[in-house]
Amino acid sequence: MREVLIIGSGIAGMACAVRCAEQNVRVTLVSPYPSERSQSVMAAGGINAVTEQREEGDSVASHVEDTLRGGSWIAGKNAVTGLCSHAADIIGYLESIGTVFSLDGQGRPMRRAFGGQSHKRTYFCGSSTGKQIVSALVMEVRRHEATGAIVRKLRMHFHSALIADGVCHGALLFDERTRELVPVYANAVVMAVGGQNALFGKTTGSVLCDGYAAGRLFMQGALLKNLEFVQFHPTTLETDQKRMLVSEAARGEGGRLFFEDGGQRVYFMEDKFGPKGNLMTRDVVSRTMQETGQDVFLDISFLDGRLIGQRLQEVRDLCWKYRGIDVCAQPIPVAPSVHFFMGGLAVHLNHETNIERLYAVGECASMYHGANRLGGNSLLAALYGGRVAADDLCNRANPESRPDFSHVVTREQRGLAASFDATSPFPVAYMRDMLADVMQEHMGIVRSQKSLLEGLQSVEYYQSVAGRIHYDPSVSAYENYSLEGMLATAHAALSCALARRESRGSHWRIDAPQTLDDYACATLVSYDDGAYRVWTDKECAYES
Amino acid sequence: MRVRVLRQESPTAEPYWESFDYDGPRDTSVAGMLDYLNYHDDIVNADGQPTRRIAWECSCLQGACGACAMVINGMPALACDTFVRDLDCDEVVLAPLTKFPTIRDLATDRTSIQDNLKRGNVFIGEYQPKAGEDFARQYEAAKCLKCGLCLEICPNYTSGNSFFGAVFANDCYLVHARNRQKARDIRKVYARHFGNACSKSLTCMDVCPMGISTITSMAKLNR
Repeated sequence: MREVLIIGSGIAGMACAVRCAEQNVRVTLVSPYPSERSQSVMAAGGINAVTEQREEGDSVASHVEDTLRGGSWIAGKNAVTGLCSHAADIIGYLESIGTVFSLDGQGRPMRRAFGGQSHKRTYFCGSSTGKQIVSALVMEVRRHEATGAIVRKLRMHFHSALIADGVCHGALLFDERTRELVPVYANAVVMAVGGQNALFGKTTGSVLCDGYAAGRLFMQGALLKNLEFVQFHPTTLETDQKRMLVSEAARGEGGRLFFEDGGQRVYFMEDKFGPKGNLMTRDVVSRTMQETGQDVFLDISFLDGRLIGQRLQEVRDLCWKYRGIDVCAQPIPVAPSVHFFMGGLAVHLNHETNIERLYAVGECASMYHGANRLGGNSLLAALYGGRVAADDLCNRANPESRPDFSHVVTREQRGLAASFDATSPFPVAYMRDMLADVMQEHMGIVRSQKSLLEGLQSVEYYQSVAGRIHYDPSVSAYENYSLEGMLATAHAALSCALARRESRGSHWRIDAPQTLDDYACATLVSYDDGAYRVWTDKECAYES
Repeated sequence: MRVRVLRQESPTAEPYWESFDYDGPRDTSVAGMLDYLNYHDDIVNADGQPTRRIAWECSCLQGACGACAMVINGMPALACDTFVRDLDCDEVVLAPLTKFPTIRDLATDRTSIQDNLKRGNVFIGEYQPKAGEDFARQYEAAKCLKCGLCLEICPNYTSGNSFFGAVFANDCYLVHARNRQKARDIRKVYARHFGNACSKSLTCMDVCPMGISTITSMAKLNR
């Protein structure tokens, strides 16, 4: 293959770009902003791997089993085995490109304990692991930019894919500078656009990850999968604009959750699950916190101040800066918040979607994590997925011909240009806020059919009016045109949650609390001219 | 509270000042204040006239991405990392960074930062561990947000055509520290685009949101 278009320049996008460049495939790497603004820089805790320096008794098989168990047994065993088998190699790769890991006395990368894992296998860089990996990968991308193997394009937003007869030939991108749609053709397109945070408003993640691309591609024929599985991170700190993540590393280093009852501290996780209770999987901790009905706190004040300074510096700093909390002296008030999306574009083992030559990697792809992701597996999946997609597409022949898309470009450009002439002061942000309220209320930690139906009704109403409203054109054109795709993703997510009439992992139905064998597989959802069809993937067409 | 914003409709339009009355919470960041002005209600200026919403950029909203860098009361700072309560004044003045082209209002195009690092071939290549490495210092340097605040305050940095500023120096340090085969070449690049022209005001360190000690990078590279 000669050329690939990669959309999104966080860790997954960059990993894919570098791997393609190493195989002499020319890469166009597109993103609205530099990689330093991607959500990847916010990944705090670490990256899981079983290496030669493994803890006694640990093995790749154990990592596989923890991942499958954490995901409530619906992630594909082959996919997860591939992920875990390559983890040591990925750690070695990250070291080789200069990632600054936290080291032990012998100069070897250190590990910490993370939730839901039988062994200590999470490698880390202080509490800014994602940022350190981004910094190293940016330099690797730059190395290939110097040879022309990778060409970066900034200030370009995804608009839609150029698809004909089930094959993707490129994408339409919105150029902020010219305010025009630009077609970019390629032999394959890789989506690396992150999760769906903006559907929920205030989350721990970047406001730039909005679920638009998944929704738009869905409307163009791509299947979505497992959208009901939304991870709530148990320990986040409320601020006026967002939920700040208090890294799982804080509990990995020994932090304890408690609530107060009559002046006494109740360590409810330890009471219910034993000494390792604070490190249960995120779905279990979040749900148990909600069940207490109490204000919950995380205490790390008893840890050695030097350890906090060395390994939890970012946690210490953000608590102080945003809430004036001295973590060395005070407990941290925490509550669960939307943090990660296990669902997204359905991809096969090679990370290709049901649209030929359209790939998805990183959080926008649904793979590896099943019904609940283990901490430390998202960075691993981003790096591994980027590699897998690259290796697959690099070995493919170029398409025989490219259809003429000029009529599509003209039609879409005309539609977009019309919206620039609006005189309305009504900002699309108000629609986004209403959508977020609906999703927070009806797609929360505990769900029911009644509540989900109410949510779906609201989203359907917004979909019925969204296209008829004129929006304030003084805000970014992308924000305006992305609403329709976001609403489609939201509709699909509520539909998936309604269809799964059981409780599993992060999807908890109060009206169906049992885990049922009938649902021990992924949920798929398709779109056809306004009709949403949901079914369970009993044949394991995805993630075998 | 009065908020004065230097506005500009497009990269080629003339900038102008516009004032707003802010009656929102004081216990919020400047980013929160901008959101309030834009979306609390229809936006009107201090004269009560409807106006367009204020453009600015953000991603993480927790001081980890550098998107919201701007000039706040004369000082370069991150909007999400600067709190209204700490400004201790009756008027907040917001302007875009001046060392970069304005896209719209408070949003600026800082691609020159990446372009200059590319021009200097600043990349590690293959990491070569060596004895006595200062990992804490390398960790700190790798946290650079590429936000541009250090360039905004630097008396030596103007257009970025030849002097590339502290952001460049710190990445040069990282390459120097992690790949000794490139050490000689990177020192030459560093000297050409930073070391030879830096007047050592060190104001870059005063505004760096990551607290990066550029002077330590300089000490290592000048040695």
